[in-house]
Amino acid sequence: MRGFRALVVNQVRGSFRDRIALIFTLGLAVLFMVIFGLLFGENSLNLSLDAVDNDHSAASQQYLHVLAAVHGVTLNQKGHAAAFTDLKNDSVAAVIVVPSGFGAALSHQGPSQQVQLYEANTTSSTATVSDDIVAQVTAGFAGGGAASISLGSPRTEQVNLVTQMDYMLPSMIAYIILFSGVNYVAIGLAEMRVRQVLRRYRATPLRSSTILVSQIVGGGLIVLLQIAVLVVLGLGVFGARNYGSWLLVIPPVILGTTAFVGIGFLISSVVKTSAAARGLAAMITFPLMFLSGIFFPMDALPKVVQTIARVLPLAWVSDALHQVMNSGAGFSAITTDCLILVAWTVVTFTLAAWRFRWE
Amino acid sequence: MADIEVMGLVKRYGDLTAVDNVSFSVEHGEIFGLLGPNGAGKTTTLEMMEGLRVPDAGAARILGTDVAGNPRAVKERIGVQLQLTAVPDFTTVREAIQLFGSLYEHSRPAGDLLREFDLEEKASTYTDKLSGGQMQRLSIALALVNDPEVVFLDEPTTGLDPQARLNLWVVIEGLRERGKTVVLTTHYMEEAERLCRRVAIIDHGRIVALDTPPRLIAEHAPGTTVELDAVPGLDVAVLEALPGVDHVTADERVSIATRTPEVVLHALLDPRAPWADVASADGEGRHGVRDLIVRQGTLEDVFISLTGGSLRS
Repeated sequence: MRGFRALVVNQVRGSFRDRIALIFTLGLAVLFMVIFGLLFGENSLNLSLDAVDNDHSAASQQYLHVLAAVHGVTLNQKGHAAAFTDLKNDSVAAVIVVPSGFGAALSHQGPSQQVQLYEANTTSSTATVSDDIVAQVTAGFAGGGAASISLGSPRTEQVNLVTQMDYMLPSMIAYIILFSGVNYVAIGLAEMRVRQVLRRYRATPLRSSTILVSQIVGGGLIVLLQIAVLVVLGLGVFGARNYGSWLLVIPPVILGTTAFVGIGFLISSVVKTSAAARGLAAMITFPLMFLSGIFFPMDALPKVVQTIARVLPLAWVSDALHQVMNSGAGFSAITTDCLILVAWTVVTFTLAAWRFRWE
Repeated sequence: MADIEVMGLVKRYGDLTAVDNVSFSVEHGEIFGLLGPNGAGKTTTLEMMEGLRVPDAGAARILGTDVAGNPRAVKERIGVQLQLTAVPDFTTVREAIQLFGSLYEHSRPAGDLLREFDLEEKASTYTDKLSGGQMQRLSIALALVNDPEVVFLDEPTTGLDPQARLNLWVVIEGLRERGKTVVLTTHYMEEAERLCRRVAIIDHGRIVALDTPPRLIAEHAPGTTVELDAVPGLDVAVLEALPGVDHVTADERVSIATRTPEVVLHALLDPRAPWADVASADGEGRHGVRDLIVRQGTLEDVFISLTGGSLRS
């Protein structure tokens, strides 16, 4: 146990002394936060709305189609609960509720009705824009003078307004899990094998498994320490917020780390040199970085790419972290993510241990 | 009982038999050398003794324990220096000694080893900043961190400059003075001659000779070689006709093999010999025998006579 601890400590200490590698991971994560913060600091021009149609008439559907046709508006029809969840998670700017009796009111066969608009409790520019657009469409649809349909004054809902920094913090945690997890173990183990450090350790009375596990645990600890540094920077310097429980951040971070350390371990098992490990790690990490929703929501990707990305572990790390930190989701929302990461961990470690070569 | 007993070790890689039925034993306090060219099987033999490789046949016993049967017990009591000095990155000299010390049940204080191997000034230096000689000293210090009874050194001076090599020889002789049993591999014959009480000469995985260096030389390279510059009038046929000459080879220099060097020298330096007064370019007479060297047989000669090849090839 003394030997195991000494090996882990030596590896973790070494990684923090390796300034170039540290700058490459931690520094780059901070740089991404700055760049993306500047690029997307303002809210987007797209107005995303959810509509709840309680009337289910030809007239109400036609009304919503007119609204959806407005340039820049994305409108999804949803059930009441789903729509308000979206609003709470800041994935839509507002929810429009079309009342029952809308069609009857429009044809003057029933009492007057009010379309109700629910918005985030913020003073963001999108709220005003959605007010204006919906008011215009409603007035136009109701036929000017006819007072049978009107727009009620907007009501506000308590929502989590996720800023770009709030979105970037879990993204950058996922980024570090990806890069440090894969690289430290893949390149580290391959290099120690080439330079015969592993062999030198094997000439001591330590068990082979102790040597290997110490290197893997060391790699995992490096990732967790880097995440701790990033979180402190993100909260303290960049003003990012976590809307969820810190306790729930831990499972995806730990399981994400084990899954990616497993991929790193697997890479080190199939390559001969550290240069090959570096290349293979880059081939795996760079596409994942852009495919897995850590820089922009995956909805923006083509469907085929989304399907591929959803098989890969980073999407699940990213999803779980965003769910918890941005939407304040509970454990039930991230159970699937966590289980899939467990599966990735088991598969990669099994394959890697099977293929591993000491020299 | 001998500290080390190696009995019929065999290691095959596919069709190649890297180590072919190697047997020897090493007494307590002895420095034992495995001498041979690169690829002869020296390192593989050492690795089977260190528990780093499992033999295909045969066994090695170290301090009475079967290595393949109980490698961890053996590793606890031996010190190992590998050919490539392998220390993790971003680790200082002191940290490396402490790290390796923590991998054994019993270890010596880092300060003692730093002093002993003259590394105190470099204690806080990262190991990759050390010179070749310092690195080798650290490497041997790491091999001694558990105060082992048996020490294995794999080509300890390869790649070092002559001064650093000489320093390291003094270090290795120090091991003998402290009663350590040492097995080292080398392809430097002068190193084997100076350090080793006994030497096993290995070629193509087999031990071709095993004895003390003086006895190996007496048996396999008994003669003396007389070397001189080739000049006109002293051709191979003339020299071979001289008394006491066994064999003559000539290229830039002439080498005369003999068991009676005094007889050969007497004939060569005879003032009445035709080559005693050779006309030179300036017209003055000079003795034809120039730049004469007399040398004894070496382990290199032993190796050449046993295998027909050179150690450095």
